Amino acid sequence: MSRPPSIHHPSSTERQYYARPPHLPLNAIRLRTPNPNLSDEAMSNGSNNNNLGEGADTIAEEDPRAALFRDHYNRTEARLLAVLGGGDRHDSGDALRNGIESRSDGPPSAHDARPAATPKKPARTIDEDDYGDDDDGDEEDDTQTSPLLAKSVPNGIAAAGRDTPSLRIPPLPSKLSIERTSTPSSDQAKTSDDVRKRLQQEKKAAEDAAKRSFHTLFYTLENDRDAMLEQQKLDELDRQVETEMSGQPGGAAASGAPAAPQQGTLSTTNLGASSLTLKHLIARIDAQRDRVHASDAQLRSLISEVRKNRSKWANEERVGQEELYESMEKVLMELKAGEHAHPFLQRVNKREAPDYYIIIKNPMDIGTMMKKLKQLAYKSKQEFVDDLMLIWTNCLKYNADPAHFLRKKALHMRKETEKLVPLIPNITIRDRAEVEAEERRMRNGDADADAAEDSEDEEPIMASRGRKAPSKGGKGTNNARKAPPAGPEGTPGPDIKTGVPGLNNAVSNLKNEFLRADSEMEGSINGFATPPPGTLTPLGPNGVLRGGAYGSQADISEADGTGASVSGFTLESEDADLDDLEYKTWKQVTKKDRATIAAERNRLFRGDQLNLEEPAIVRSKAGMRKWLRHRKHALEEDANEASALGSDGKDGVQAPTGETLAEGMEGEEERQLPDYYDPVCAIPDINERLQWVEDTEGHVIQQFEEYMRVVPKGYFTAPDSALAKKMESNMRQMQETRKICSKIGIVRQMQREQQVYQNQFQKYDPQPFMEADIDPMVVSEEGAVIAPYVCRTALQRSVGKIFFHAGFEEFQPSALESITDIAGRFFQNLVASLGIYRETPKMKSDVPVPTPNGETTDWIPRFTQEEALLHALHANGVDLESLETYVKDDVERLSSKLAGMHDRMRSYYAELLRPALDGNAGADGAGAFNDGSEQFVGGDFAEDIGEDFFGFKELGLDREFGLTFSVPLHLLQNRMHTVYATQNTNNVSTTGVLMEEPTKFEPVTVQTVTTQIGLVQDWFRSKLRDNESLIEDEDLPPKQRFPKPRLPPTGKISSPRKRPLREQQQMARKKRKMDEERDENRDDAAGTSMNRGLGKPIGKLKLDMPAQKENAGVPEPEKEDGSAVGMISPESILAA
Amino acid sequence: MSDKDKMAKYRTEIQQMMFVSGETGEPTPETTTLIESIVQDQVQHMLRECTNLATRRGSRSISTDDLMMLIRHDRAKISRLRHFLQWKDVRRSVKDSDDKGGDAGADVGGADADLAAGVVGPAGPGPDAGKKAKRAKVDLVWDVQSFFSENPPLMEDVEDEEEEEMNFATLQRLKNADERTKNMTREEYVHWSDCRQASFTYRKGKRFKEWAGFGLIDSKPSDDIIDILGFLTFEIVQTLTEEALKVKDAEDLYKKTTGAGEPQNRLKRKRERGLFDPPEEAREPVQPSHVLEGYRRLQRGNNKSRAMLNFTRNVQRAQLKLI
Repeated sequence: MSRPPSIHHPSSTERQYYARPPHLPLNAIRLRTPNPNLSDEAMSNGSNNNNLGEGADTIAEEDPRAALFRDHYNRTEARLLAVLGGGDRHDSGDALRNGIESRSDGPPSAHDARPAATPKKPARTIDEDDYGDDDDGDEEDDTQTSPLLAKSVPNGIAAAGRDTPSLRIPPLPSKLSIERTSTPSSDQAKTSDDVRKRLQQEKKAAEDAAKRSFHTLFYTLENDRDAMLEQQKLDELDRQVETEMSGQPGGAAASGAPAAPQQGTLSTTNLGASSLTLKHLIARIDAQRDRVHASDAQLRSLISEVRKNRSKWANEERVGQEELYESMEKVLMELKAGEHAHPFLQRVNKREAPDYYIIIKNPMDIGTMMKKLKQLAYKSKQEFVDDLMLIWTNCLKYNADPAHFLRKKALHMRKETEKLVPLIPNITIRDRAEVEAEERRMRNGDADADAAEDSEDEEPIMASRGRKAPSKGGKGTNNARKAPPAGPEGTPGPDIKTGVPGLNNAVSNLKNEFLRADSEMEGSINGFATPPPGTLTPLGPNGVLRGGAYGSQADISEADGTGASVSGFTLESEDADLDDLEYKTWKQVTKKDRATIAAERNRLFRGDQLNLEEPAIVRSKAGMRKWLRHRKHALEEDANEASALGSDGKDGVQAPTGETLAEGMEGEEERQLPDYYDPVCAIPDINERLQWVEDTEGHVIQQFEEYMRVVPKGYFTAPDSALAKKMESNMRQMQETRKICSKIGIVRQMQREQQVYQNQFQKYDPQPFMEADIDPMVVSEEGAVIAPYVCRTALQRSVGKIFFHAGFEEFQPSALESITDIAGRFFQNLVASLGIYRETPKMKSDVPVPTPNGETTDWIPRFTQEEALLHALHANGVDLESLETYVKDDVERLSSKLAGMHDRMRSYYAELLRPALDGNAGADGAGAFNDGSEQFVGGDFAEDIGEDFFGFKELGLDREFGLTFSVPLHLLQNRMHTVYATQNTNNVSTTGVLMEEPTKFEPVTVQTVTTQIGLVQDWFRSKLRDNESLIEDEDLPPKQRFPKPRLPPTGKISSPRKRPLREQQQMARKKRKMDEERDENRDDAAGTSMNRGLGKPIGKLKLDMPAQKENAGVPEPEKEDGSAVGMISPESILAA
Repeated sequence: MSDKDKMAKYRTEIQQMMFVSGETGEPTPETTTLIESIVQDQVQHMLRECTNLATRRGSRSISTDDLMMLIRHDRAKISRLRHFLQWKDVRRSVKDSDDKGGDAGADVGGADADLAAGVVGPAGPGPDAGKKAKRAKVDLVWDVQSFFSENPPLMEDVEDEEEEEMNFATLQRLKNADERTKNMTREEYVHWSDCRQASFTYRKGKRFKEWAGFGLIDSKPSDDIIDILGFLTFEIVQTLTEEALKVKDAEDLYKKTTGAGEPQNRLKRKRERGLFDPPEEAREPVQPSHVLEGYRRLQRGNNKSRAMLNFTRNVQRAQLKLI
């Protein structure tokens, strides 16, 4: 009839070992029955089996120990009793503890219960005053406090008759015995509290651990989707329940009869969960009840109004509902949020499992339970637990295959349930009217039947056993009916022991507990008593035969799990979770938040695309704050770890910054998630240079000067390598040689032609090769400056240099472009292949190699740097040999060749010039002045060129004489031409002179004019007067010459000497010009340019004394020549 | 059969060239025919390329520069070719100065041999003539003097460093020839040097032009071009033969080490040379398969031609390589 509410209670198994002393009076036994579970020493000591979770494991082995202990306890207690003089009580005390079970085996009767109630009463009356004050212990006897009433059974009030002398009729048990009875009861309450607390602590610890692991472990996001889906399902479920519920409002608790205006104790009033907070007030009011002029109901409503945080379950008319439902809901939520809860959330769909409802007669699921909860359909803890267990049992039953994945989930959930169930207080909900009626009855003193019931009611255990029965059904019959199931159910212990010894113990215990619940449930449903323990076969581990027709199915399915494998490995493997504990906890703890976040993100997508309509995820201040806090926390942890090594100052700098961001600004609930789930709120590290750092005097340290840096020079210029130097010197050499070349060209031109003008010669003025760097540029970042067009231009310049080095003086821009493209592409390929070779996976080496940071590693790169480079070169068709050949032949040998060429050019030039400096000119050419030296003075030729033609300046003559030694061009040209003509007569003659030239006409002069015909003499004279000398047509500059008449192919002479108009005009102009220039440059007027069509632009004439050049040895650094016009030359390419 | 006969126009020459290149045995007609077709292919290819170059230059007829351009990467060959052209020039001037000397033909012949295998053995009259006549320098178009607008006359005293430095390839060639002739008797050597004069072009100009398909591109190629081609064809045959011999040696070595072919093995043991055995005389000549393999090896492309195709999906179409 009375059994511990907890199915795990070990005492039920142990009691078997205590034979009831036959001599014990029945009364004594009955005396204690109301608190049978309190008699368990293990419980009272609080040392053994308090933890229901582990209790299962230890039962088997604990028994001998417990027996021993119990024995010991009995003896000491006996001694104590003897000392205190309660001689006969001594026996009864023992009897009380030992005999309960055997008593309960007997046929149940109301009579049994009645005597039990009587001793209880005094205990409670004593209790009344110091109700709930076991902590304070100030007013009265501590030992008599009954926290059981105060805490776990606030609704156990019925017995609280204040002044019921009738209750004292039975002989009062000694104080000691009361103490004994009450202490264990308080312990019991405590233990259940402890269990709750411990569970909570464990949970908390797990959460903390999970939170701590945020910093150290990175969990992948792979489970988030599942979590999200489950969460969605849960929400769906909630909504569903909500909608279903909304149809039938009010809940079941409508049975509130108005409270009788009777005085009761407030403490007996169920004020719900928060009554504890008002504990003292209530106690005070109770103590001074006489002075309070208010009815109980008034007080109750007053207090309940005062109370905050009434939950939705609170109902004045339903005693105990709030507390019970609070906890039940919590448990349910907890279970629902578990990762394995998913399959159990909703009813099994018939479509998915057609035969489900054939096999499972009583389907149950969490959703239904939620509904029931909302409908307030649960009257007691046990109903709730039964329903829960039913879910798992159903699952196990239906999925009989041991390997089925749902089994694992169900087992897991069951374990979870077992852990959580102790959190629910043992409360049976009753209508207030009933409670009050009881109170009234109690006060009225009708003891007998009601007392029995009272004793039940005040005991949570009994209450939970009793389900709805005590509150609704007839009490007497209820007791009678209830007893049978209690008996056998309380005794599965022996079954286990006998049936499954040894190995199977742990497993079977677990099973057993579950089965007990199961069978209890069955029993309660069917009202069907399980057979006595004796019927159990030793083989059937858990009492396969137990339970009704319905229950047996569950048992069979159970038996599969355990009976099939003797050692219980199957079960273990079924039970074992694949994930490690930490991960599991993490999943559990963070599931909801992960689901929320995943859902948030999921909302952003429609189909597989970003949904533009959806509002973006934005960072929140709270999130940022949390991020900072996390970070700080992590840093602190790090710092703690590293404190031995000495902390660096940086943390100190950072720590204060973490605090400032709106701490406590908005209270959003904390998410149990690591930072990386909330990347939007992450705050990147601030660059050190941007940080607000103060020095010791509180001045801000100015750091902004360091933000920027100037790009170092030489980024876009060729490196200063030996090869580049050689190439540049080659190019300089070429320029020098070209200078000579152009001079040679001029000299040759002078030789060939009679008249040469200065402006005929284009300046050859090569610029030195200067690689322009980019302008000073300021950047704020480290790293390379990469601007594609600048890079390209730089490459173009290099290509141009190579072109020039290869001998191209000029080249088409398009050629340059295409070569640049090809070169760029080639280098890209080269670098890409180098990258491939360098990034080849490392390979294992036999010998560990030290790494730069002091560690050793077994992994070495597949290729060394050198190998990688060689491979890359090879893959692109370059080998070292060809590179070397290039450097040797095309650079080094080229320089020697160029030098040779330069020498040849110079000597050739000297050869060409020599005729101008005839023999008597002397070594330094000063002798050239001997004949007509005045001709060399005052000319503008050499000065224009800026050339020290004869090296006078070098000799310092100019300073000595204060003269300018510039040579009139025409003088030089004259000499050159004549000498060349005389030297190369054959050359001239071979140009196709077929006929001997006729003898020249004698020039007409003043002297010879008289020989001419008289008619023309005057005309000649006038001409001579003007011009002093007459010039032959042949000697005229070509442009002024009259075109010679030619015989056309037709053979006809059409019009002799008819000049075109244009020519006449030109003639006139020329003449005018000639007249103007006649005085200063008579010879010039005669000469004119012939070679306009010279293909190649030629630099300005620059003539050197060869001797002087040879002295110079090294190419002069001065740059005086002009560059080519119109084409690109490397000089004109500038970078950036 | 007639087709083959028509094709095989240079059988004797090729045999002689192969002999000079180290093939002691008598090559089968198949081998020579194969070599001949390879050479013909090469020559035609060269002419095609030259025509391309000439067209690009804007000229209708090919010049020696085009030919040199084709082989510009083979520095050894280029330098030998220049050498050859120089001496040719020398001979011409000598011939001019000697005023149609009686034995011009022999003179040229001797020089020809000289050009074919470098200066080896008894020096021909060439060097003496070279001392007399000033050797014209054969300039490459891409050489330094083309950098400048003026071309000064060559200075007498300036020693051309190109002449001094002997090419490694040339040295190797001389060494090979020396090796081959080391053990020869006087008669053998005479025969050998006779063989050195074998040429595709010498005094067979018309036949060669026809053979090489000159009619299609340039009916009147310059004498120089024909001579250069004659030089190059000799080079081709020589390279091919040497490569084929290498292949054959490798094959022989392989056969010896692995003992491929049991009956041959027995035969070989019998043929194993004793101390007093007569010297191995009739070596097996190279087979067409060896030539083919050698040709394949010579045609093997290098990465350079493929470099720009890296990281693309383009397939390289290998061009015929000049040997």
